[in-house]
Amino acid sequence: MICDFLKTCCADPLKLLGEWFVLLPAMVLLLSAAAAAVMRNLIRAALCLTLSFIALGIVFITLGAEFVGFVQLLVYVGAVAMVIVFAILLTRPDQLAKSGSAFSGLGPAGGAAAGFVALAVLLGFIFASPLAKKPLSAPVSAPVAAIGEALMGDYVVALIAVGILLTAALVGASVLALEDKQP
Amino acid sequence: MDLLERAPIELKSWFLSLLGSFGVPQWILSVLSALLIIGTVIGVFLGLFALMSVMERKILARAQNRYGPNRVGFFRWRLFGLFQPVADGIKMITKEDLVPRTADKAVHFLAPVAMMIPALMVLAILPYGRDMVPAELDAGLLYFFAVGAGTEVAVFMAGWASNNKYSVLGAMRAIAQMISYEIPLVIAAIIAAMISGSLSPSAIVAAQGGFTWGFVPQWFVFTPWGFAACLVFYIGALAESNRSPFDLPEGESELVAGHLTEYSGFKYATFFMAEYVGMFAVCGMLVTLFLGGWQAPLPLLTIIPSWCWFLGKVCFVAFTMVWVRATLPRLRIDHLLAFAWKFLLPMSFAAFLAAACWHYAGRGPLAWFLSLAIVAVPYLILGTAFSNRFALSRRLYQFSE
Amino acid sequence: MNFPGSGILKGLAVTARNFAGSYFEKDRLITEQYPEERPKLPENARSFPFLVYDGGDPEAGMRCVSCKICEKECPPQCIYIVQDRDAAGKALKRPKIFDIDISVCMSCQICVEVCPFESIRMDADYELSSFERFGSLVLDKARLLKSNSYYRSIHPTEAAETDARLEADRKKKEAAAAAKAAKAAQTPEAAK
Repeated sequence: MICDFLKTCCADPLKLLGEWFVLLPAMVLLLSAAAAAVMRNLIRAALCLTLSFIALGIVFITLGAEFVGFVQLLVYVGAVAMVIVFAILLTRPDQLAKSGSAFSGLGPAGGAAAGFVALAVLLGFIFASPLAKKPLSAPVSAPVAAIGEALMGDYVVALIAVGILLTAALVGASVLALEDKQP
Repeated sequence: MDLLERAPIELKSWFLSLLGSFGVPQWILSVLSALLIIGTVIGVFLGLFALMSVMERKILARAQNRYGPNRVGFFRWRLFGLFQPVADGIKMITKEDLVPRTADKAVHFLAPVAMMIPALMVLAILPYGRDMVPAELDAGLLYFFAVGAGTEVAVFMAGWASNNKYSVLGAMRAIAQMISYEIPLVIAAIIAAMISGSLSPSAIVAAQGGFTWGFVPQWFVFTPWGFAACLVFYIGALAESNRSPFDLPEGESELVAGHLTEYSGFKYATFFMAEYVGMFAVCGMLVTLFLGGWQAPLPLLTIIPSWCWFLGKVCFVAFTMVWVRATLPRLRIDHLLAFAWKFLLPMSFAAFLAAACWHYAGRGPLAWFLSLAIVAVPYLILGTAFSNRFALSRRLYQFSE
Repeated sequence: MNFPGSGILKGLAVTARNFAGSYFEKDRLITEQYPEERPKLPENARSFPFLVYDGGDPEAGMRCVSCKICEKECPPQCIYIVQDRDAAGKALKRPKIFDIDISVCMSCQICVEVCPFESIRMDADYELSSFERFGSLVLDKARLLKSNSYYRSIHPTEAAETDARLEADRKKKEAAAAAKAAKAAQTPEAAK
């Protein structure tokens, strides 16, 4: 099977490149996420997390879900990463360079065990879902118009609920940020 | 003239077929095709950047009743100083690259790169002429803002890696400014996308085709909601590129150079280049969304090729940005943010409402009047409501006994 | 009409008028483009001293008699004079060495004020920069000697006054010499 794959790739080098286009962002995603979890310097960890967000967005795009990929980049890299960075900068200015022990409490063995349990649960859910039963015969294209119609048609209640939630968050943030006018 | 119009595309396909007749395999030809397009786009925009850096100084100088740079030429000919970018480039390359000893070296090195990459990637979806989009994306507008969000990360990296309090402060102010102005920017863009019915820039340009009464172009800027949205987008564009009057993060009389303080030589040149290329990209987006893209303003002017019109319109918008820089003083950070949240955001919502009403009222005379009212009334209210805010009042000492 | 934003529009109009006017109105751009257009200095402009000579030959027409008054009076002591001596060692009324160190000279013009022979005057040339610090910033006699016609071209009024004074002195001396010669011519005849 690998020989056939290599043969087709040598005949059409762009196909080989295409395969690497899907695998490379996934590898970057795993490596940067692991680095973000292990690094001692908090800001560097936050930047590695941002890199993992970017890689995740690229994975979405290479898998054909362009809209979700761009939204991932816009929201996670543009907003969430900035919130994380601001939160770090504004709350722990004296301990930026060293954040103490990277592992705490459980110790390495316990941490690894907890990680494996989480992985097993996630994999179980993925393989039990209907998508894993039969692979798609042809790539599904989701034009933006179709996504828009679905959001405003079938899922409009969820959209409005999220909107209300965001408004509540904004109002709460404004209230917190208001200066205390009492003398 | 159809020949001139199709000239770039025909040139490329002629060259590729020439190579193909020499026996070059197909996959190399497709890679070469992509590389030629990318090379042309980047080459044109870097050339525009070089020209802009000297033309901005000359236009600012003329507006201040003095000559700009007019000496640097080619051997003996002065050429109105247009070779100044060559001299600037040589200076930037030969300057010593200083990195603070306690700076975070990897992040300090990567910040200019991280700033340049989104600025260049964003140029891929602009329609430069008829059928001349490097990447025809269904969600092109979303790609524009998604990739543009990478600039904020780069600004933070630059500010924090310098290990300098003033840099961090400048970087935080720059990020706050960029995030605040991004919302009205995106909403103004969404207005154009909403009326065109698509997120693809080519479809938005096509929706502005045609002429009413035979000679008035149907560009969005000539409608009340489109004019308001264009102004909101323009102001947001000025703020996103950190240009005057919103250049507090990098004004020299403020925190030295803000997040760029510790950068010298080629890294500074990269930041400078990224800022100008970003400015041209967002000008190009404004032209695409509101000024009709590559379309000519009058039916008989379609003789001039479409890519010439696009280039001319982008240069005109860039000229107005320099004009605004020559006119307006710099805004303070709290004024800047208050302007974004208290004026631009409600105005963008008003324009949004006006566009929707215009569409659903049938796009007739009543619709025009209604949309004009929905845009003008909030503008007048918001414009006058805050004019007394900063009047001098008696200082209140809160904690004095 | 003061709607919100009218101030910005008025400012934009001012800037646009400046920009367009700078191409059409000649007197808007007041920049002097230096090496091509030199600034018009007022007549009293001065930079460093120079030695005046009359006529065509610098060494023969030099007015300086090496009295060394300017060397004594110079506050930063930037003038260095060595009197010329002939073959027999007798002092001549001319300087052999006359150096002014213009990196020390403060252009106070005291040497000009005290010179009894109108021979040292202030030049107006400021383009004296050089690539070395000490050698070429000491002006020797050859570089200091400039003709009276040059002096007349840079300071017309002063040169006219000086020439008039010198002319009057010369006439008085001639008249005195003529009177003495006439008296000397008369007395031998009277003594005869």
